[in-house]
Amino acid sequence: MTEAFGSLLHGFSIALTPFNLLWGFLGVTLGTFIGVLPGVGPALTVAMLMPLTIKLDATGALIMFAGIYYGAMYGGSTTTILLNTPGESASIATALEGNLMAKNGRAGPALATCAIGSFVAGTIATILVTLLAPVVVEVALKFGPAEYFALMIFAFTTVSAVIGSSTARGLTSLFIGLLLGVVGIDSQTGRSRFAFGVPELLDGIDVVVLAVGLFAVGEALYVGAYASRLEEKLEQLKGSLWMSKKDWQRSWPAWLRATAIGFPFGSIPAGGAEIPTFLSYATEKKLTKYPHEFGHGAIEGVAGPEAANNASVTGALVPLLTLGIPTSATAAVLLSAFQNYGIQPGPLLFQMQGDLVWGLLASLYIGNVLLLILNLPLVGMWVKVLMIPRPLLYAGILVFATLGAYSLHQSVVDLVILYIFGLLGFVMRRWGIPVAPAVIGLILGPLAETQARRALAISQGSAAVFVTQPISASILAVSFLLLIVPLIVKLVRRH
Amino acid sequence: MRYKRAELILSLAILFLGIAVAIGTSQLSSAGGYARIGPNVAPMIISGGLILLGAWLSYEALSGGWRNAVPDDPEARGEHPIQASAFVWVSAGLIAQIFLIHSAGFVLAQAALFLCVARGFGSVKFVRDFAIGLVLGLGVFLFFVKFLNVNLPAGWLQPLLGGAGI
Repeated sequence: MTEAFGSLLHGFSIALTPFNLLWGFLGVTLGTFIGVLPGVGPALTVAMLMPLTIKLDATGALIMFAGIYYGAMYGGSTTTILLNTPGESASIATALEGNLMAKNGRAGPALATCAIGSFVAGTIATILVTLLAPVVVEVALKFGPAEYFALMIFAFTTVSAVIGSSTARGLTSLFIGLLLGVVGIDSQTGRSRFAFGVPELLDGIDVVVLAVGLFAVGEALYVGAYASRLEEKLEQLKGSLWMSKKDWQRSWPAWLRATAIGFPFGSIPAGGAEIPTFLSYATEKKLTKYPHEFGHGAIEGVAGPEAANNASVTGALVPLLTLGIPTSATAAVLLSAFQNYGIQPGPLLFQMQGDLVWGLLASLYIGNVLLLILNLPLVGMWVKVLMIPRPLLYAGILVFATLGAYSLHQSVVDLVILYIFGLLGFVMRRWGIPVAPAVIGLILGPLAETQARRALAISQGSAAVFVTQPISASILAVSFLLLIVPLIVKLVRRH
Repeated sequence: MRYKRAELILSLAILFLGIAVAIGTSQLSSAGGYARIGPNVAPMIISGGLILLGAWLSYEALSGGWRNAVPDDPEARGEHPIQASAFVWVSAGLIAQIFLIHSAGFVLAQAALFLCVARGFGSVKFVRDFAIGLVLGLGVFLFFVKFLNVNLPAGWLQPLLGGAGI
């Protein structure tokens, strides 16, 4: 505990150097700006802004990414409330009451409770990450390849089969991602797989290209086809921004409860901020003293889900940093940013690159403060961003998104792949196949394969290694149960 | 029996993708060294998974449709009926970009993309859109080439851009 405190202080000394502070500030500002754009979620924001960090050192770049990650989330809530277009599934719960508050002329307090709630939840969650990460690292250092493989299988199961409306479609998305992951040179034997003689494919498919293809190109094709001729109603931001005393009294218990719900969901590799946001919404609806206001714009219904989202997204940094396991599409893109710098997150990261990790964690505290300052007084400016006409907005998004994919290798092949992924994204969106499992499968699949082979090399080819070691066996058993039990329950109910 | 054609086609596509992967896998080496599993094992598992999922989804499609499916009626999704021209224009922009970027150069390719996408979303101010696309493309080009030292193709604008880019 005191050790973590000392490391954190050291981290602040790194994060507070003028340049790192500048990168953090740039990150949160750009992140908020792009995050405000309707239809752009945090995963796409991070992917789009990746080329900008090309000149920075690893620490500076990751501090900027952390800022973008947080900023995109804060920015997204503005759009959700004023436009009722949640940029990601985790914002849907916020939109329920938030947009109704805005319709009743209470957009100011709704935005304020989001920003302050995000700050409170984000800060508490960051403290918890600081305390929890070293503990997880201690445990993770004892893990061998078999345990890592089991944890990755667990993450696969939760992100694809447990979350979402259909296990079959979630798993399909995951397997498409896994298939894309085996394209290229096999890291263990040097043989090429499914590259079809295209030299550009030998390096494998970049997560950024997949994320931009699914989230930007697919989205533009879909929105163009099905929603480009809709009238959109931007709610006016009038009256006071400030919350009344009563608003405060109703908000703060919701923030704290939501943090308690959101953080655990993010920090076990269970993936997705969607479930905790709806759980928080349901909790607030049940506990409120003003049940008649729900459905007409109740402030608890905004404060809770938004804080839960933030706490869970921050919590997701625990598995990402300590185990190298991303549990959301955004975390997967962040992981690829790490990999671009030759850094593989995991317990060793805390030992080998302490400066980087603690500088990054310290910058999260600073980022939350900056975002609070940026968001409330400047909300008028962010609202102007929402007034950009849709044709120009989507054209601009595609100009920058394709730039992000092209500038990785300056390759036309990447642009062709990008368009194919765009078509895939269109089909997936239209027929309700979730996209996050594909992104996670692409980046985590090859890592899982490597761990499995290492485990088998140690056991000299005996597959029993996965089920004879207690930790690995129990994680695999839980994953299996998560997959099978809901199916059996369904079958039993039917008969 | 009632079934949804699009869902069945997609399900079968997944099934055939799995079979194609299995065929491709049969050409991969199975030599795995110490681990005893070669580069062919992961693709084999993936192809098995895709075949199973394709079969599962086909079964769902044939027995009343995919479970918890997205409504087919755009209005039920809060959207308008499909505007095929928008899809075509956005696609045209991306394909134009693919063909232009290494001939006409980055700036013109991005301007063409911008113009087409804006058209797809219903804008009819072509000159304005093209001009905005040019300015955006030029700004990004100069920022990347001069500031980030990332080379982008200058193409036809090479004489104007004064040797910047490739």
